[in-house]
Amino acid sequence: MNEWIYENRRKLLGFSAVVVFFLAWEGIFAGPVKLNEFFMSKPSLIWAGFMYDFMSGKVLFELMVSVRPFLFGFIAAVVVGILIGTFMGWRQKIGYALDPFMTALYASPLVAVAPLVIIIFGVGVPGKAFLIFILSVFPFIFNTYAGVKAVDQVLINVVRSMGGKDKAIYFKVIVPSVLPYIIAGGRYAIGRALVGILVGEFYAASAGVGYMIAFYGDMYAIDRMFAYILIMMVIAVAFTEGIRWAERTAFPWRVGL
Amino acid sequence: MSSYISAENVNLTFRPKNRQAVTALSECNINIEQGQFVSIVGPSGCGKSTFLNVLLGLIPPNTGVMSVNGNTVTGPGTDRAMVFQEFGLLPWRTVANNVELGLELQGVAKGPRRETTQNFIEMVGLTGFENHYPHELSGGMKQRVGLARALASDPDVLLMDEPFAALDAQTRDIMQAELLRIWQEAKKTVLFVTHQIEEAVYLSDQVIVMTKRPGRLKKLFEVDLPRPRDYEMRVSARFNELKLDIWNELKDELSAGGDEDSGHA
Repeated sequence: MNEWIYENRRKLLGFSAVVVFFLAWEGIFAGPVKLNEFFMSKPSLIWAGFMYDFMSGKVLFELMVSVRPFLFGFIAAVVVGILIGTFMGWRQKIGYALDPFMTALYASPLVAVAPLVIIIFGVGVPGKAFLIFILSVFPFIFNTYAGVKAVDQVLINVVRSMGGKDKAIYFKVIVPSVLPYIIAGGRYAIGRALVGILVGEFYAASAGVGYMIAFYGDMYAIDRMFAYILIMMVIAVAFTEGIRWAERTAFPWRVGL
Repeated sequence: MSSYISAENVNLTFRPKNRQAVTALSECNINIEQGQFVSIVGPSGCGKSTFLNVLLGLIPPNTGVMSVNGNTVTGPGTDRAMVFQEFGLLPWRTVANNVELGLELQGVAKGPRRETTQNFIEMVGLTGFENHYPHELSGGMKQRVGLARALASDPDVLLMDEPFAALDAQTRDIMQAELLRIWQEAKKTVLFVTHQIEEAVYLSDQVIVMTKRPGRLKKLFEVDLPRPRDYEMRVSARFNELKLDIWNELKDELSAGGDEDSGHA
């Protein structure tokens, strides 16, 4: 038993801290501080608000509304990011030429262009998908670029010296070297894509998780607003941890994941 | 006229874009008999590694001909295999999957492939490590994998490019003894590039001293020490005499403006 606790102490401590946090949050408004429901909420109220919307099917509905632009934007980011990154890595001059643009776009807070995107693409799925796309494409571009540049020439020579042709070099050396970089890029991209969906729905939407956060905020329904914020947090954590788990499972040879 | 491995008037000049051309090999003539263990020593950047890469078929020479067993080298072939200096193991493959790479590329079916792989893993003393990844192995073990991988496709010629340079001194001694044992068992022609004269003498039937860049054969030494070799031989008079002779031949090349910049030319 003690051994089990020791082995899992990281998870146990993490989990306990989260529980303590919510208990403390609840406790502080149970007596010491008076809760002003216009500005704050507490876990029991948030839970009640969540259950209310959940039972009516509203949570699921809003999630489904947000999922579509998310999928379109994110899948486009994966495909375009890998293509541009590979191209930059293979053609050195193109890589050098595009590097400043990509760096500038990656480093700057691209949510700034959200209003423009909405003006150009309108308030529907395309606008939101495009916003998600431009926010999440750069981690894929940069990581693919770095991955392609990092392919070990010696390993290519190894395969070539054993009679391997281009196809073998591609599948036995290049893909396995670059893939971990791309997946790691995906971990960063997910977080940025979630920002994209919220901002997109803040600006121009009549449904969706982001819209509900803005809507309940306007209504001073702080408990429901918190419920949707926490839903987004849970989704973000699930994605990030899911990718981390996939990395460990798929790349057992990677040191220190 | 033709020996088992022969290089005739081989010239090779690298012409990198926007940089000065470098002549790595110039009128290089080398002949090696079948079954021999031959070491090549020479100053850094003299073209030793380049010579191996040309023989391996990775780099075509500008002029001249290299041939193995009468066949002109025009590209990589299963009659030659290389053991690389930094091991060249694929980090995402286990020991067993690294060893079977050559067989896999030749299209050998899974069953026989596994069997051969296992035999060579056993030969290099890595039984029990089949499912380990390279990062879990020590330097010596990694090079055992490199050796097993090269041997697995049953080449006639084994090319070794400073295979023990990345190992510490003791591991290096162990690996030299292991290599001799395996060489006697597998009966291959070996071309072994090294910086260490002692290593060259200890392992070889012949030691070739190359000139500084552009590289060509300067002098060939016959190592008339009996086999099997043992560690004590290293303190024998004959061993040290050979070492000194080779050193005297080599040191002129080192002093005369030898450049140390391009270790891998």
